[in-house]
Amino acid sequence: MPKQEMDGVELFNLALSIVGTVLRDGDQKVSELGELFEVSEAAVKKAVLAVANSEDLKNYETHFYVDLEELDNGYVSISQGMSPLGEPPALSKRQLSSIAIGLDYLAAIPQFAADAELQALRTLIRESSPAAVTNQTPTRLSEQIEKLQQALGRQLAVSCEYINQTGVKSSRTIDPLRIDFIGRRHYLRGYCRTSKELRAFRLDRIQSIELTDSEIPESTKALKIPEDVFGESAQEQLVEISASAEAAEVFWNFPVASEPRQVGDEVRGTIRVGNLAALGRHVAKYGGMVKVIAPESARAAVRDFANRAISGAATPGDEE
Amino acid sequence: MAKQSPAERLFTLTCCLMASPVVGLSKQDLFDAVPAYSESRGGDALEKMFDRDKKALRNMGVQLEVRNNDSFDDGESARYLIAKGTFSWPKDFELSPKQLGLVELAARSWNTQIFGSAARSGLTRLKSRGMVEIDRQLQHISPRLIARHESFGPLADAISACTTVIFEYRKSDGSQTVREVDPLKLRLIEGEWVLLARDRRGIKNYLLRRIVSKIRDTEVGFTPATADEVESAENDLVEYANANKAVIEVVPDSEAWWHFGAESEQVTISFMDEALLAEDLMEFGADLKVLSPSTLADRVRAGFEAVVSAHA
Repeated sequence: MPKQEMDGVELFNLALSIVGTVLRDGDQKVSELGELFEVSEAAVKKAVLAVANSEDLKNYETHFYVDLEELDNGYVSISQGMSPLGEPPALSKRQLSSIAIGLDYLAAIPQFAADAELQALRTLIRESSPAAVTNQTPTRLSEQIEKLQQALGRQLAVSCEYINQTGVKSSRTIDPLRIDFIGRRHYLRGYCRTSKELRAFRLDRIQSIELTDSEIPESTKALKIPEDVFGESAQEQLVEISASAEAAEVFWNFPVASEPRQVGDEVRGTIRVGNLAALGRHVAKYGGMVKVIAPESARAAVRDFANRAISGAATPGDEE
Repeated sequence: MAKQSPAERLFTLTCCLMASPVVGLSKQDLFDAVPAYSESRGGDALEKMFDRDKKALRNMGVQLEVRNNDSFDDGESARYLIAKGTFSWPKDFELSPKQLGLVELAARSWNTQIFGSAARSGLTRLKSRGMVEIDRQLQHISPRLIARHESFGPLADAISACTTVIFEYRKSDGSQTVREVDPLKLRLIEGEWVLLARDRRGIKNYLLRRIVSKIRDTEVGFTPATADEVESAENDLVEYANANKAVIEVVPDSEAWWHFGAESEQVTISFMDEALLAEDLMEFGADLKVLSPSTLADRVRAGFEAVVSAHA
């Protein structure tokens, strides 16, 4: 995991954990503790100082003795004073819940569904819930993920057919880099050799994945994958929308141009839309709880999408 | 002595509480013992700092208890101590390298969001138990949980503290009522955050997106539901969802066809909430048609009509 800045509470947790480790395993190098807990050496030192400075002023008691000279030399040496604390407390409800939810989330991913070690872990954690309440994961998705994992393991490009959000189909060769599972959608993050750019492809829009014998170039492996799955478009338009409280999540599905704000019972904001033809589906799904305010072309795109759905006509795609 | 940092203050507070006599310590004892408290100017700021610290300790698993003991003078009768069991790990609690890798993946899925810190600190704690070997074969997958509902944080806090909350809830039929519930658990069910909570009539599920007010924490404590009660409520939802079936017709080779992994034009799906399913289906526009139940078909049609009307 990436090393992150730690706040006071996290440092406190680190201090508890370092005490447990050092009292059990003996003196440790600062660098090794940093590696173990995936934090910086500075964070380890700060946490150790928290242990050193834990004197009881009322009773003049020293809870722990820390060798500060050794700390300067890169070693952590702690011995117990008056404190009975010998190991860190068991996980809190909040810690357990956060891990249990994460594990439930993993269990809902097809490639982990039958994983015996995950099931055993979820039983051990005891906070876990059923991974899913319905069984809507198509077999095809599981097969796709398996193929992509093979490609990722063997570092090979894949070829596939892709249908974009406006219904346009294309054949692509992609260097797979990672599979993201965000919310409830799977995305293949990879370099598209066809469009010559780093892209995110929704797995449910990919068909007929085949492994090629072409290896993923080293230069591609070194590419930094952006956090967001939103692609960039040269023809981006600003669209002002409003949403009821219940449908405010619509703002999570687009890059926002201005922070959404509360106006009466509604949330208003401006989103950046790459293709108006694709806007209809994102707005119409909320059945009127989301409204496009401007521009008129965006309102028309949403209206047309809903009208076509009512009349049952096929959605026309781009003429690309 | 230099001014204590927050981490130093919390660590000292924990040590003082652990070394306390069986009758516990008064608030003043703690204020005198912990340097950051004794050196503060006192008053409201100190009280607020102490309240924040108590919450932080609980969030980190230090189960702080307050017991009333009338044998002490006024102002000294509230006694603070650490509950038994705080340092008791389940017997044989050991994880394999792969399981630790899975915990790491689960923690990473929170990214920098709320609960991310709790998950990361939980992982740190597990590693301090000597479980250090991590199987990193899982690096090709990157799960990411998204929890942006305003109610998420306050509900998570109330679940940790076992305190009753009040909020306004809007049902899918549009009716809105005030609910007073004991929050038990937050769950992500097929992309939707759900609060499992108990009211006078039993344990129910509440979609976070339908909580339309701020969460008000009454700070009134409740006795948590048993694991069996929670499990039973969760199984009820699974049964309920599996009994709800919808049949749709998808246009061959369309995006809907691919999405639902269709093998014929008719696809049967189960669902936990008709309004949510309607939203999922409406995204595919004319790519599909609802055949049954008729209530779902009506809901989808009415939804599209509302969209046309809102954009006329």
